[in-house]
Amino acid sequence: MRRRHIRPTFPGWRATGLFKQEGAWLIFGVAVVAGVLIALFGNGDQAQLLFSTCLFVVLAYAWNIISGLSGYVSFGQVGFFGIGAYVAATCQIAWQWDWYLAALGAVLAAVLLALPLGTVMLRLQGIFFALGMFGLSHIGALIATSTPLVGGSMGEPVPIVGSTQETALVMLACAVGSVLLTAWLLRSPLGLRLLALRDDEKAAEASGINTNASKVVAFCLSAGLAALAGALYVWNVGFIDPGSAFNNTYELQTILMVLFGGIGTLWGPLLGAVVISLISNALWAQFPQQQQIILGALILIAVLWMPGGLVSLFQRFGWLRRRPVWGPPPMIEAEARRALFPAAVSRTGEPALRCEEITRRFGGLTALNRVNLEARSGQIVAVIGPNGAGKTTLFNLITGFDRCNGGTIRFGETLLNRLAPYRIARAGIARTFQTCRPFPSLTAWETLLLPALAAGIPKEETIRTATQMLERLALREQWDASPEGLPPGQLRFLEIGRALMLRPRVLLLDEVMAGMSPEEIHLVHALLREAVAAGCAVVAIEHVVPAIMPIADHVYVLDFGTTIAQGRPDEVLRNPAVIEAYLGTGEEAPVNA
Amino acid sequence: MLQLQTYLLLLLTGIMWGGVYLLMASGLNLIYGVMKVVNLAHGDFIVVAGLLAVTLYGAFRAGPALAIPVATLLFLLVGGLVYRGLLARVETTAPQGELRTLLITFGLSSIISNIALLIWGGQYQSVPFFQSAVHLGALFFPESLLVSSLLAFALAFAVQLWLTRTRSGRLVRATAQSELGAASCGLNTGRIRLLTFALGAAMAGAAGALTVVLIPVQAASGGFMTVQAFTLIALGGLGNYLGALLAAILLGVIEVSSSYFLGASAASAVIYVIFILVLIVRPQGLLGQRGRI
Repeated sequence: MRRRHIRPTFPGWRATGLFKQEGAWLIFGVAVVAGVLIALFGNGDQAQLLFSTCLFVVLAYAWNIISGLSGYVSFGQVGFFGIGAYVAATCQIAWQWDWYLAALGAVLAAVLLALPLGTVMLRLQGIFFALGMFGLSHIGALIATSTPLVGGSMGEPVPIVGSTQETALVMLACAVGSVLLTAWLLRSPLGLRLLALRDDEKAAEASGINTNASKVVAFCLSAGLAALAGALYVWNVGFIDPGSAFNNTYELQTILMVLFGGIGTLWGPLLGAVVISLISNALWAQFPQQQQIILGALILIAVLWMPGGLVSLFQRFGWLRRRPVWGPPPMIEAEARRALFPAAVSRTGEPALRCEEITRRFGGLTALNRVNLEARSGQIVAVIGPNGAGKTTLFNLITGFDRCNGGTIRFGETLLNRLAPYRIARAGIARTFQTCRPFPSLTAWETLLLPALAAGIPKEETIRTATQMLERLALREQWDASPEGLPPGQLRFLEIGRALMLRPRVLLLDEVMAGMSPEEIHLVHALLREAVAAGCAVVAIEHVVPAIMPIADHVYVLDFGTTIAQGRPDEVLRNPAVIEAYLGTGEEAPVNA
Repeated sequence: MLQLQTYLLLLLTGIMWGGVYLLMASGLNLIYGVMKVVNLAHGDFIVVAGLLAVTLYGAFRAGPALAIPVATLLFLLVGGLVYRGLLARVETTAPQGELRTLLITFGLSSIISNIALLIWGGQYQSVPFFQSAVHLGALFFPESLLVSSLLAFALAFAVQLWLTRTRSGRLVRATAQSELGAASCGLNTGRIRLLTFALGAAMAGAAGALTVVLIPVQAASGGFMTVQAFTLIALGGLGNYLGALLAAILLGVIEVSSSYFLGASAASAVIYVIFILVLIVRPQGLLGQRGRI
């Protein structure tokens, strides 16, 4: 039996949540049936309205995948619509392909083009990506205008073989397909990866996610969907010209629809596309001239007064929320439990991580000067030192977020100096961040699933380990809580848990015990001892010296980028240089553990 | 010899066009430098100011001497209202703050350009002023280009002086460099942002009223102008004044020579290609951190 967990803030939410999810799908089903009936028995105008609404539904979901789920807002996604339209038109005019083959060709062409384009363009961030895509779609329009390939700037008719009703029916099917695709994405590991990188790209890399690959996949999916819409559009109107294929109004409308409905959600683009399509259809009849002005004003209203979109109105009542992936965590019978840390990965005492003579300079400041550090499996190494000693820089170098100016970092036999952060994480070096970097869009449960997925652990195993980890961190009751709702101590537990889910051979902890209560410190100690017993090497930066000394096997003291002392904890704490550097005066007694 | 003369002409014309582009971009640059907001309605401000100048010319035969102050004052007001009414309501640093400001100016751009379409229609219009040619030795230049670029460089210089030499300019720079720091020194950063946005809009207005003698405008040309201006300031490093000057000259020369050698429609594609290449290869701009506001 699965236990029901009641959310503290929304009593009874969980009990009715399932019904509300299914209710949404039920309403969607009714709407689809109504659409089919309109296509079959309605007149030409109604079928045309159905077609254009469904066209925008597909475009809205295409834009939502790249800009909503992965957070890379594009102002040129309509470029793929134009490319799809042109490829399909060429296939139909030049080679007399059937419409569905032409559409397939258009999707393939767009995906093939999106692959290199995305790889390059997605290195850009924020406004640079948005406007870069805008430029690309303009280049597309310029090429279409200036080449005589398919009608040039004047355009060319495309043979119409289907009735409006037929095209509307096919477009409706595509719209349903794009809803299902997004629903699947939001319940899949890929969707989790996208949401994580949207929230915090660095933390996602540290969890072993190849963020570049995930973004490019999302970009290609989005391009393919937009191209499909373009291909069917040509089939419907029977004409192709640059002005309507690369139409910026479409971009504007699509963005408006997604914002109006709710960006990054499952139902938002659908709601937005249907509502705005119907509004602009009515406006078109009444105010053909002012339509664009009213749409622009609606964007302003949506952004200023409804930042979460229409969906957020429903979400206030607990409707239309995203369901956590693979949740809720199952109950695990005693006999099914395995050790949280699998059997020793390497023999205790073997060197796991070796930093030799590493140096990092920032302009004139030498943050680290020929620092050596060795972490052996089954041992806890503490790195202490005053503010600005270079401790966090050291971690950034080890985990690939920053590069050394000199020296080598080895993990076993592997040289880490040039590896991407996600590769280092997957190889078995996990880290936490000095200030917690949670994923606000993910639940605690999904935060723990994510690194295991990135490390390629099978589904059953991932679910079992994540469940046990939740229990171990005393977070089971909060499995579906957003990190934003967790108190600071539990947020740190979650961050430690996220690192441990990578099954690291080296665990780097950056001041995790700062500000923790004695009970919480006790829990962290127990966890670390367990990890160490399984052969993990722990390197802990700590400001709270008494919190780390009792469990440390070896201590390094950094000051101004150099190692001023190292050795057993009790020896180091008696070292006069350490006392002076760390405590400021040589007269006070050393801190007792 | 003739060859050399052609190249010299291309180079000088390019630099002059660079000045014009700089004028058209400097409002955007100022606003980005201080507020970290890309005003996507910037091009539409320019276009509307240009069309206003056309109307003034039609009604009173008035030239830029009247149109520039009118447009400047009008857009000072418009900028202030847009900031107060729309942008001040969005927290730029909050999650999705940047996206929200972009979308607001995007919506605004659509509203303005379509209102302009209703008022002025869709045909390209210009103001026939400064139509003679100026001879400099064996070379001759259109007077409109010469006047526009001289005024453009003068205005860019004036803005630079204002930013570095006056009290209010220094307050603006302090806010640009660290808003939090400026606020904790007791500056009213909200007012400085208002001032900046209003000034940036006014610069767009002045640019539009002046350059309409040179570049015919139409209600929908705003989007292209925004991208052109953004290309320039991205090339120079967003919010970087010195970089923008350098980028303006570079872009002007490239555009003039590519339209001479390749034709006008290819030249506009070349601009986009440069834009994308710059974004990818050197997103921090030509000069990087040096020369920030």
